[in-house]
Amino acid sequence: MAKILTGGVGKAEVATAVTGLGIDGIEIAVSNDMDAAAALRAGRADYFLGTCHTGAGASLGVLVGLLGQADCHTFGRSVPTEADVTALLADGKRVFGFALDRIETVAPLMARAIAARAV
Amino acid sequence: MGTALAAADAALAFSPAQQLLVVGVCALTATVAHLALAVFNDGVRPFMLDFIHGRTTRNATGAVSFGLSAGFVFGLGAPMALSTGVLNPWLLFLPTDVLGILAPRAWLAPLLGAAWGAVVVFGLGGANELAHGLPVDFLTAMRQMSTPILFLFALFPALAVTKQFGRLRGGLTGAVELGLVVLTMRVWPGVFAGAPAMAAGVLMLIGFAVAADVRAVRTPPAPAPPGSEGAEDPMASLFSAGAARLRRHLPLFMALGAGVCVLAQMKVFGGGEATSFLIAKGHYTEAAQVDFYRVFGFLPLIATTALASGAYGIAGFTLVYPIGYLLPNPLVAAAVGALVFALEVLALSSVGRALGRLPSVRDCSEHLRAAIGDALGLAILFGSLMAANAMGGGLGILICGGLYLLNEAMGRPVVRMAAAPAAVLVGGVALNGLYWLGLFAPVTGGPA
Repeated sequence: MAKILTGGVGKAEVATAVTGLGIDGIEIAVSNDMDAAAALRAGRADYFLGTCHTGAGASLGVLVGLLGQADCHTFGRSVPTEADVTALLADGKRVFGFALDRIETVAPLMARAIAARAV
Repeated sequence: MGTALAAADAALAFSPAQQLLVVGVCALTATVAHLALAVFNDGVRPFMLDFIHGRTTRNATGAVSFGLSAGFVFGLGAPMALSTGVLNPWLLFLPTDVLGILAPRAWLAPLLGAAWGAVVVFGLGGANELAHGLPVDFLTAMRQMSTPILFLFALFPALAVTKQFGRLRGGLTGAVELGLVVLTMRVWPGVFAGAPAMAAGVLMLIGFAVAADVRAVRTPPAPAPPGSEGAEDPMASLFSAGAARLRRHLPLFMALGAGVCVLAQMKVFGGGEATSFLIAKGHYTEAAQVDFYRVFGFLPLIATTALASGAYGIAGFTLVYPIGYLLPNPLVAAAVGALVFALEVLALSSVGRALGRLPSVRDCSEHLRAAIGDALGLAILFGSLMAANAMGGGLGILICGGLYLLNEAMGRPVVRMAAAPAAVLVGGVALNGLYWLGLFAPVTGGPA
């Protein structure tokens, strides 16, 4: 079971978009950047999905500073493919930022790719 | 006319002192960005940490900054400045972020910043004059946007309360706000109707959030998982390193605070989304109120990203905007602005620590920003269609609304928030083209 935390401006929307899909193997909860950074460091959560207008700043917040750039990736306003996401996850990325107006495409894509890894 | 607040007849005319000030402030902000001490774009700040530590290049960071800012400069900053005649931080400070970071030499940063300031004060005025001279005057039409923006913006606290604390309290806040808007219009017709409502809404949101945090403290805390004490440490050490870096450059920040505060005092600049329209109308007290409530949506974000990255905000907590609007003269504004920035930078670590203990307050700033986005999204779309109608009637609506829908259908190459104003600008040019081809007659006797 992979635990995903959401944060940023669209944190509730991301959680709703993923919960409605009924994907097995993941658990998603609304959080915020500071609590999520502590949870990810302590191993109490596995992934963070952050959102804001640009897909970079508020969405990643303090996580880049605390976990390091190596753990973080922002899609900005771009829409990744399933292969992109799988490669990034394999690369060890745990924190992802994307733009508010991309939630409906990026959030389910991320959730499915994380679930596929968790199995 | 009580509810239709069309912006004043703005000409983007600057006095020599104002031109000099804008050029000087842009030179300063570009220098500060070059030194990685402050950037305006909250999205760029997290990336400054790696840049400060030399783990990434100037060009790579500049590319990030450009990518995150360009849409907001052309979609938000420029159309707002053109339609109100008042400058705004997106138009001035996002480009100086990019130019300052990209400048390969320290001496080049202030020159590039000053050049941008000059382009804005001289170029924008010319573009404005040129556009007003066209047969289809789309800039005058764009003032239609002010009414929906001003009035829908007033409702953002109610949306934030609903998102954070549910329908009951959200409905209550909405009812209080609506009541206050109606009351203000009846009893104090000279006051911008949204201001008292916004004050009440933001106070209610903060009240609910503080109450939730106090309740959470009173209930016995969940047993701390082993190792959580250690997990708290890295945050504290990261934050203290950031705060120490910023404190070392206090004099430069005081100069920055002075510059931004004088800019606000000179009445040629509006800090928030709704403020430019109010400044253009000369409603400075109301503009100060609107920008003051907006501070609550951004303060936690700016504080935490500044502490984590060691790079502050160009406008700090943006408190210098409302203070600047209210001050009597530029000299006082310079002194007060410097003092405010000094206090902000010195208080930054305590603010960070306090925010760490107040999760609901931190959440409420995220909900406030989401609510501002939602309210503005509708207001800008609706206002853009009103502008399209004013300049081209049904054909204008067809072209501008059509461009907006096309952008949506193509997967939003243009940010949704900027798509409608951009469509109005493109539509305005298209209608002028049709006029020259003899295929379109301008809407006569447009709204005065």
